[in-house]
Amino acid sequence: MVTEAISPEFLSKLEARGVSRRSFMKLCGSLAVAAGLSELAAPRVARAIEDSVIGAESGGLYPAIWIEGASCTGCTESFAQVDAPDPATVVLEMVSLNYCETLSAAAGWSMEEAKAQTIEAGNYILIYEGAVLEGWNGEALRVANEPGTDHLVHAAENANAVVALGSCAVNGGWMGANPNSAGALGVQQYLKKQGIDTPVINIPGCPANPEWLEAVLVDAILVGKLPELTADNKPKVIFNQTIHDNCERRGHFENGEFVYAFGTEEEAKGYCLYPMGCRGPQTKANCGVVRWNHRRSWCVASGGPCIGCCTANPNDPGENWVETNTPFRARFRDLRIGGLVVQPEAIAWTLTGVVAAALVIHGFGMKKMGRTDGGADFEPIREWDKKHPNESIGQYDEEVLKGGK
Amino acid sequence: MAHLAHYREAHPLPMRITHWINLSCMVLLILSGFLIHFPFWAALTGVARGLHVFCGIVLLVNCIVRYVLAFLVTSAPTGGTRNRIRDYKTWMPQDDNKHQLIPWIKYYLFMKKDHPLSAKLGVPQKISYFAIGILILIMAYTGFCLWIPTSEWTFFAAGTAFVGGAMSMRIIHYFMMFVFIIFTMLHGYLVFIEGTANANLMFFGKEHGGLVYDPNRHVIVGEDHSVDQH
Repeated sequence: MVTEAISPEFLSKLEARGVSRRSFMKLCGSLAVAAGLSELAAPRVARAIEDSVIGAESGGLYPAIWIEGASCTGCTESFAQVDAPDPATVVLEMVSLNYCETLSAAAGWSMEEAKAQTIEAGNYILIYEGAVLEGWNGEALRVANEPGTDHLVHAAENANAVVALGSCAVNGGWMGANPNSAGALGVQQYLKKQGIDTPVINIPGCPANPEWLEAVLVDAILVGKLPELTADNKPKVIFNQTIHDNCERRGHFENGEFVYAFGTEEEAKGYCLYPMGCRGPQTKANCGVVRWNHRRSWCVASGGPCIGCCTANPNDPGENWVETNTPFRARFRDLRIGGLVVQPEAIAWTLTGVVAAALVIHGFGMKKMGRTDGGADFEPIREWDKKHPNESIGQYDEEVLKGGK
Repeated sequence: MAHLAHYREAHPLPMRITHWINLSCMVLLILSGFLIHFPFWAALTGVARGLHVFCGIVLLVNCIVRYVLAFLVTSAPTGGTRNRIRDYKTWMPQDDNKHQLIPWIKYYLFMKKDHPLSAKLGVPQKISYFAIGILILIMAYTGFCLWIPTSEWTFFAAGTAFVGGAMSMRIIHYFMMFVFIIFTMLHGYLVFIEGTANANLMFFGKEHGGLVYDPNRHVIVGEDHSVDQH
């Protein structure tokens, strides 16, 4: 295949730039260490770089661009802990990661060039991490002398699919929370506004579970099709059931065994965290099944109530997980009335209290007026009838007028 | 200290039954609802969830049955009479109600000394009872939006998406419960503040003598104490 960047061609390119095979291998060793691998992985790194398909239209590895928008790199860090295949296998043997702020060997202009070449060649997958910031005409985020939004548009237009990785990429995440001064929103909504119809796969989470991304990559790259998606374009197999549905503490919930305060006997017994504000019943994700950190544990197993970090409506930055779920320890979110932040319970009980007090006061008034024993005497004639004798509703006669006593 | 005679025709048996169902379902729904919101009585939470859904469905069906009954059953158009008309007409504006909204408000604000004449239901009553029927339907809708077996149905999922997700729907459901609580406080207060005759009739079908009203001439025409138990 003439378009494939094969090793001799690659090495001749290196030599043309004055890079020896020896210093190239040394670089690969440093890269392997930087990525958390042993230096022994250097040959694999070298092979991956040789096999990479920057600028080529096809090759051994599937080209991928990983752009960080307004991100904390948490999802990348999370991905570095992926279980099987391990991240090295993914970036060295599955995809040709042509652009990634954190993991790329290159930096600066050469990296931007690699991205541009990949985009031009097409047939790649775009992984977008972090929120899209529309604020100040996209200048709220500026990378490589271009608004962040332009980077997304360019990379998304030609991609086979966009993976919006993490709650920020799905709908702005916590940046979408009030007051959202940077104009954060999700990839799907932004691309729709720009009229770009590249399919978007939303993987929420703060951070997103690395196994979720891997499942999508395996589907998209190895199987060659996109996973089945929900109405929110989230992979169905991952986001179709609540945390609560598959929670290991569900038995305690059914039994009515709850933790009401941390540091108690109930907490030590591993009871259900529902009264501690657990968002498991309304958060859709399979955390309890897949688990985290090499599948060792997850929030609820480690004693933390679910904070609903996968809550993300791709069409509404206002329905972000932070605003929807804070304060995390309360059963309800806070409501914002002007500058006032208040719990729904406080509003409801205050109103009820006011009505109850008003009724008590009114009751004393009724008592004082002597109406508590059957009510006041009836009006002998309606007020309106008195003023409008010709259109009178009641037909009063002498006897009637006496009768109302 | 005069009131219209309380005859069974005002609240015939089918209406007394639906009223009992409304009352018991609402009380159970509110108690179990609080338990579901926060498990303050841990052992009962499992029961509360089942009971809540059961009572919710019963309340909804009862509400619909009550609407249908309004067209099938006859009841008295006003207090103090044994005349009967189709029950739904007593929910509509009647001549007896005409021009009486302001006097009713003035009466309760102590700006009017005399008890206003009225149909069986006064103007504020008609408005609030009608609203309660609608509220039950909306409450059932928000409930089904939250209940897992129905929450994914397009009809309900669309509503949840519209209000901004399950958390917002939960808060709406919660606030609406307080509308019922506040309604029941007002309703109970207004029934009992002038004595127990109204409640005795609605709960137990017990009649009570008083003034007699002529719904055709829209005036009080006499007094009847023959039904009083001595």
